Amino acid sequence: MARHSSAGYNSLVSLSSPTARVKVLFFGRLKEIVGHAEDSIELPDGSPIEVLFSHYGANHPELARYRASLVASRNQEFAAWSTPLHSGDEVAFLPPVSGG
Amino acid sequence: MAKLLQPDLLALVRDPIDQAALIHHVHAAEDGAVVTFDGCVRNHSHGRRTLYLDYEAYESMALGKIREIAEQMHEKFPIHLVAIAHRLGRLEIGETSVFIAVSSAHRPAAFEACRFAIDTLKRTVPIWKKEYFEDGAVWADGEMPPAPLETRAAKPAS
Repeated sequence: MARHSSAGYNSLVSLSSPTARVKVLFFGRLKEIVGHAEDSIELPDGSPIEVLFSHYGANHPELARYRASLVASRNQEFAAWSTPLHSGDEVAFLPPVSGG
Repeated sequence: MAKLLQPDLLALVRDPIDQAALIHHVHAAEDGAVVTFDGCVRNHSHGRRTLYLDYEAYESMALGKIREIAEQMHEKFPIHLVAIAHRLGRLEIGETSVFIAVSSAHRPAAFEACRFAIDTLKRTVPIWKKEYFEDGAVWADGEMPPAPLETRAAKPAS
């Protein structure tokens, strides 16, 4: 699994499998840990959100520590970590919310 | 089923919230009550003196979730109209961060719907605040939104 940590054109895939390119958003302290608010990444089609998070967690151990206190969203709806991803999806990792 | 002639007013704003405009928006001749909630920036947090707050949002999702709250208010309570505005960016002590106005023919529905709106907003809308103190800044403790249940790995069809 090739990993490139630069933002913008990452890939988690081998050449043979069908792939999906998804947009990834980070908010609050997660944005500060990762160092940018937005990323675009290619991964095997149907990969669960969990796999995507693990990729960033491997590059940013501090991010991985927050896993239990995060929720994920897919296309602006809260989503289970097992949710499969497809091309064009927008995924966000959300810290506990504190609006109001 | 009468369709509303005037829709609810739901917004994320960067300038000071015009409270009078929100109240005016929901108030019509058939209403006997307008209940409002004014959420404002407090000068202390966990015993420390707060200097100011900075709010950020996942704006597209936050607006969608605020819209869902308004829809639920209409389903649950016999109310007339809803206005909800949340401010983003830097807010000074005393400024309004969120303002909610609800109108109804009779007051109980507007009171209950307004309470439901702020409680649900604080739990489900992806907005975050960073608190700035004299000696540093922290992201406020937040609430975990209710996440969907995890599905198990696909089982063979039975």
